[in-house]
Amino acid sequence: MRRLLADRLVAATAVVVILMSVVFALSRVAG
Amino acid sequence: MTLYTLRGAVWIIVYLVFILAPLFALLLGSHPPARDFWTEFAVAIGYSGLAMMGLQFGLTARFRFVTQPWGEDVIYHFHRQISLVAVGLVVAHPLILLAVQPELREMPSFLEVPWGARFAFLSIFCLITLVVTALWRAKLRLSYETWHVAHVALAVIAVTAGFLHMLGWSFYLGDPWKRSLWIVLPILWIGLLVYVRIVKPVFMLRRPYRVVEVRKERGDTWTLVMQPDGHPGFRFRPGQFGWLTLWGSPFKITGHPFSFSSSAAVTDGRVEMSIRNLGDFTRGIHKVPVGQRVYLDGPYGAFTIGNPADMHVLIAGGIGITPMMSMVRTLADQGDQRPVFLLYASRDWDSVTFREELEVLKGRVDLTIVQVLANPPADWTGERGFITAEMFKRYLPTPYADHEYFICGPGVMMDAIEKALGELNVPMSKYHSERYAFV
Repeated sequence: MRRLLADRLVAATAVVVILMSVVFALSRVAG
Repeated sequence: MTLYTLRGAVWIIVYLVFILAPLFALLLGSHPPARDFWTEFAVAIGYSGLAMMGLQFGLTARFRFVTQPWGEDVIYHFHRQISLVAVGLVVAHPLILLAVQPELREMPSFLEVPWGARFAFLSIFCLITLVVTALWRAKLRLSYETWHVAHVALAVIAVTAGFLHMLGWSFYLGDPWKRSLWIVLPILWIGLLVYVRIVKPVFMLRRPYRVVEVRKERGDTWTLVMQPDGHPGFRFRPGQFGWLTLWGSPFKITGHPFSFSSSAAVTDGRVEMSIRNLGDFTRGIHKVPVGQRVYLDGPYGAFTIGNPADMHVLIAGGIGITPMMSMVRTLADQGDQRPVFLLYASRDWDSVTFREELEVLKGRVDLTIVQVLANPPADWTGERGFITAEMFKRYLPTPYADHEYFICGPGVMMDAIEKALGELNVPMSKYHSERYAFV
């Protein structure tokens, strides 16, 4: 079950990193 | 929220900061003119992927304050899964660039491309090899020892090449401080490896152990009894494990993780590990001579006895009995009378490791044992087959959610039991599991 929690953390980390990369790119294009 | 949960949450935030802060630092100060969205996005995931790969060295550096809230097996599971995300980001980086910048598709031959791009090829090649060999080690018939050496070498080459690719391109690293930041980071990542492989072994070299007894147990299992040689040793909590280097020096790259099976209440530093012959490194345990010098790195693991007020349900499959044995022996030595229920699955009656001693321990601990045999003898009247949710219902008092569950055994068994406990509405905070095949 803790591994399931770890899997969710992996998924959440992936989403956060991709979203932050979008934010990075948008801030460059907009800035 | 428990202290462990809080520490876990803090560590996830720290982990994300280590990945994202160096990326967003590139937005500070002066920077080159912006390009289109997809080019900037591709660059961002390239930097993030590289930072994630570098932090992999931190996840496996065996820092107790990092692993404690989760358990070592979960950290290694996270390490394996997050590597797929990191490699995905790193591979997507050039693919997006190739898609949005047609001029890149008209590159000259490999020998003529800029050296920064060559390092990118090398890094991606090593990363893909790293993932393939890690996911399919058994199918590729790589021994654990060969794989481990190759794994470390490929990881160092991949991260170094990725770093050199970044320096070679250098689009965002015009400011000296940004360049310095992204030079210091890989040095820190590789430094973590140096800490695990060189600094820590130096300390272990000064704290050796001697094998004082090699004891045969049931089920093709041998117990190594080890005494600290010239130092007081360490104290562990029942259920924890250590990395054993049996042959050679602690600088040898392949330590093997084993649970301590002895009582944690002993005060002379003596520790025991009970190891089943599984046909690999464990094949030679019975040949270890008394007096052999060995090295132990430990203790590690969050799989340890919980709240004394709760009933403890220990669920062991095969050699997964070893941490449970340490728990029961420790409770006996401490005169702890909390109720303990042991559900113990084995292949057959003859291979039930510690069978006789467990019967004796019933006289010292409030211990109930249910043996489950896959191949029982003809006159067997006990449980047979595999551990199921029905067995919990037959033997455990309700409410099930009031007990603490400790599960150790083969992966398939653990998956089935965790599912069964979920069906009985046992909350996740009441499960404690340790997968001994986590590397």
